[in-house]
Amino acid sequence: MSRVAGCDVGSLTSKAVIMENNKILGWSIIKSKSDPEESANSAMQTALEKAGCTLDSIQYCVGTGYGRDRISFINETKSEIACHGMGAKWLVPSARTIIDIGGQDCKAIRIDKDGVVEKFITNDKCASGTGRFLEVMAKVLDIGLDELGDMTEKTETPITFASMCTVWAQADIIKYINSGYSVEDIGAGINAAMAKRVAMLANTVKIENDVCMTGGVAKNKGVVSTLEKVLGVRIRRVRKADPQIAGALGAALISQSKINNGGSK
Amino acid sequence: MMDAFYEAASKIDSQPIRSWKERGGKIVGYTCSYVPSEIFHAADILPVRLRGIETESMEIADAYFGPYICTFPKCILQLAGKGKYTFMDGVIITPGCDSMRRLDECWRKAGDTHPGIVPDFFYYFDVPHKTTEHGIQWFMEEINHMISALENQFNVSITPEKLQSSIREFNRGRKLLQELEDMRAKTDIVISGTDAYAVTMAGTVMHRNEFTVLLENLVKELKQKKAAKNDKRKRIMVIGSISDDISLIQLVEKENEAVVVAENLCFGVRYEGAEISENDDAVSALAHAYLGESKCPRMYGKYKERLASLKQIIDRTHIDGVIMQNVRFCDLHGSENGLFERDLEKEGIPCLRIEREYGPLVETGRLKMRIDAFFERLYK
Amino acid sequence: MRPEIKEYNFDWMMCSIMMAASKTADGSLKEYQRLCEYIPYFRGILDPFVQEGKPGISFLKLFSDYMNNIVTAHDQGKKVGMTTFCFSPAILYSIGVVPVTLEILSTLGALMWKRGTADYLDYCVEQGLTETACSAQRGAMGAYLAGLGSEIDFVVCDTPGVCDTNANSFAFAASYLDKPFYQLNYPQTLSDDRTEKYHIADYRAMIEFLEQQTGRKLDMDQLKEILEEIKIQDQLVADLEELHRLVPTPLPVIYNLMIYGGRFMFAGDHKYTRLLTEMLQAAGEKAKKGLSGLRSGKEKIRAFLCYIDHYSMNLKFYDWLDDHGIAHMGGILSRTFTAGSCYLDGLEGSAYAIDTSSMEAILNSIAQMNARMPMVRSIRGQYDKPGMWLDETLSLVKMFKVDCVIYNGTPGCRNTWGMVKPYAMDLEKHGYPTHIMNSDAFDDRVESWEATVERLDEFFNVRGLL
Repeated sequence: MSRVAGCDVGSLTSKAVIMENNKILGWSIIKSKSDPEESANSAMQTALEKAGCTLDSIQYCVGTGYGRDRISFINETKSEIACHGMGAKWLVPSARTIIDIGGQDCKAIRIDKDGVVEKFITNDKCASGTGRFLEVMAKVLDIGLDELGDMTEKTETPITFASMCTVWAQADIIKYINSGYSVEDIGAGINAAMAKRVAMLANTVKIENDVCMTGGVAKNKGVVSTLEKVLGVRIRRVRKADPQIAGALGAALISQSKINNGGSK
Repeated sequence: MMDAFYEAASKIDSQPIRSWKERGGKIVGYTCSYVPSEIFHAADILPVRLRGIETESMEIADAYFGPYICTFPKCILQLAGKGKYTFMDGVIITPGCDSMRRLDECWRKAGDTHPGIVPDFFYYFDVPHKTTEHGIQWFMEEINHMISALENQFNVSITPEKLQSSIREFNRGRKLLQELEDMRAKTDIVISGTDAYAVTMAGTVMHRNEFTVLLENLVKELKQKKAAKNDKRKRIMVIGSISDDISLIQLVEKENEAVVVAENLCFGVRYEGAEISENDDAVSALAHAYLGESKCPRMYGKYKERLASLKQIIDRTHIDGVIMQNVRFCDLHGSENGLFERDLEKEGIPCLRIEREYGPLVETGRLKMRIDAFFERLYK
Repeated sequence: MRPEIKEYNFDWMMCSIMMAASKTADGSLKEYQRLCEYIPYFRGILDPFVQEGKPGISFLKLFSDYMNNIVTAHDQGKKVGMTTFCFSPAILYSIGVVPVTLEILSTLGALMWKRGTADYLDYCVEQGLTETACSAQRGAMGAYLAGLGSEIDFVVCDTPGVCDTNANSFAFAASYLDKPFYQLNYPQTLSDDRTEKYHIADYRAMIEFLEQQTGRKLDMDQLKEILEEIKIQDQLVADLEELHRLVPTPLPVIYNLMIYGGRFMFAGDHKYTRLLTEMLQAAGEKAKKGLSGLRSGKEKIRAFLCYIDHYSMNLKFYDWLDDHGIAHMGGILSRTFTAGSCYLDGLEGSAYAIDTSSMEAILNSIAQMNARMPMVRSIRGQYDKPGMWLDETLSLVKMFKVDCVIYNGTPGCRNTWGMVKPYAMDLEKHGYPTHIMNSDAFDDRVESWEATVERLDEFFNVRGLL
């Protein structure tokens, strides 16, 4: 029996996953705090509670994410790219290309059949093409993030957004609202703008089937369906777990392989 | 031993510059590796390549440059505006690229609001983009014009004999740098990439004679040095656009996962490559050597030559992976990196292409994340 | 690139659209109006040309012929050369080469399609070109990189030393497609003897390159004929420029695009001469009656576009100018700078003259003319040096009685963005209110049209111009 964990301290959310024998015992997603160490502790605590076990029982733990160097209870760190590759592989075993859109960054990763990263690319530093973009836009529209995802299927006439700049797009949205456009048209337009931006990144790593999406934005139906159209591929839906925990999950899977190869705490 | 190199490589107001000034020496700054340093050396002027390190804010640069401009010339302008370059008696601007050549206007105009920042000798050196006969001819004329301008301004005489003697002095350094590169090419690693880059960088700032002596000692010392047995570190080459900040190399080498054994960077050793003919007409020899090899993507249409030379270095130095970087808005290096990536990956050479903001490693976190992931790929 | 886009050949698609467009006005007005009901997307861009009557329709036919040449080039045994707008196609025509001028095609895509050329723009990036590279080339280049256009036989450009981003994109395309490449490289100076000699040496080397690529000798008789035709065209443009000086100007906003668009496509070709003749006639009639060229008929103010125009969103920018009574007084692309033009006072070195008296003279003339094409002429050296951007702008705004200056370009333009701020400060010092637009002439994803208009409104209102 091997009980392992993975902890992903991101810029907006922190995630932890507890696994035993390739099964998820417990997991958590919390809003990140200003101190990464505290975020890690809190995410881990919540996941442990859900799993019904204690930190002592964890044999190996891998940390990842921006705050990974500040996590106190881990055995080693791995890059988010590798963790997302592993995590996605577990979630969708046939996946070769992973599009991960997190809070403040976006990655396209191509992996081999074992989940090992072959090629990857990340977005540049501004918020366009990230979860943060959607968050800001949903706020301007005064709707929830989940609702924003539903907008795409509710309209046939999405607005074509010019700018993907978070600041300018906000101004555009306000203009559209004032001109009487429906929230659905605007929302669907936002999802489409996001999908197009991300498609360019995905195409850069040369897409191989199957494609899956991880990260919080994978839960936005509108972005996923538009992305399918723009890329011309079917995106495998993640059903085995919340796509947002892929990084932490990958970290836990790496922990598991360490145990199997003879490592221990 | 390394301290002197690091002093010169990591500060703008460094010891070699201060002591040269104290001795009453003249200094001329330049912006691009296509400016033959030998000319200044022959006039007993210290040529110093302009840098952007130590920039803390950008308000002066942003007032003159537009937003879609490489941050490197912006940093130079900002530093100039802040008076950090007042030790320069002259400045040479070249059309290295569009961002760089517009430093001319922006610097001069900034001088209207920041008096005293434009040196008396503010000279435009028009380097062509081709190596055809008429291109070389143009470049030789430019060199001759600059020589006359320097003679007039600084009341010196730059004779063919002096130029030839300077070429000889620079060649001594070139030979030593080549020896250093040969050592780095071997599987026994005796010097880190960071140290080696500090050496090269120092060469763009220090007086050549002083530099050559230090280099000679370093090479001697390294020859005696025993390399660590069974070094498992990955051998990395770093290439691409302007980089006058050794911490980029440091970032790659951190935690001993890797050692940078070769580079092909603007500011790097690529411009020190070939020795310059000591017997031909000095101006012609300089023109052919500086322009002739088309090492920078500003020399359009020479991609194949550059790819071949890159591959040759990769083979010679047993590279495991290539990190290609470009400062944002450097379309020249950025796009060529795209082609390099395509063609090198095809041959099974792992590549990481990154676009970054220039500056005192403003994006360390993001860069580190990408570099870490790249190493995970190399170690798989 | 979306998979469905890959199903269509780019230049054939452009060609059939332009062919159809050029025929829409061949029937009766009623037929045309009925037709418009069926083309909701294209109507917006078709109508401004058709409304101009004969010249507008001729211009559409020019586009149609241009595209037709490209798609049929290889069948006609001609070579296809990828090139840039500031390179005169005259030399290519005289050696049997069909030019694929990327900026012309990017413009067509930007102004005709609702989605613009987004897919092609992004495709270049996916293939390794930087995202910051200029959209003027990227917009069409993506299609050629993807193999969705006529096969390119070689690449020739003349922007090294003037616009690195442009030159870089052409060099990239040549390497990517593995095609021969020639670059004319311009020094930072324009008119001194040494520079002129360099122009000639470089141009002659280019002719050698063209001869190698085509396996043909340059036909001097044909070149002479083409240059003679250019002389006539230059005179017609000079006459139009004279009319442009009138207040109000009888030239409609869209004439600027037609003047330079025609020149970039068909310099030295009778078709362009015919277009200019028609334009001159139409404008002359208006001038006789003292009418403004604006649709409203009322010219309130005269704006000079110191760089390029704004082509995306169905040429909405032109409509906006027209709706506000703003006359478009040309830009960096509009003037020929042929010797004898009215605005050459103090800019003599910027002019070229065509001399066809000997072979030597012909080759020198075309080399010097090419060196004085838009952009490579005045934004090569420092903007404040004699004859360069500032001098040229000041001369033109004075000659054409301009009230304000507007800069519009692309974020890919490292060259002008590196100097436009101090340049604008200097223009303001000379008393010309100057507005710097942040939008992208070819890619409306950079700044939305709404934001662009808001800033334009603000400029004209705050500066008390309207």
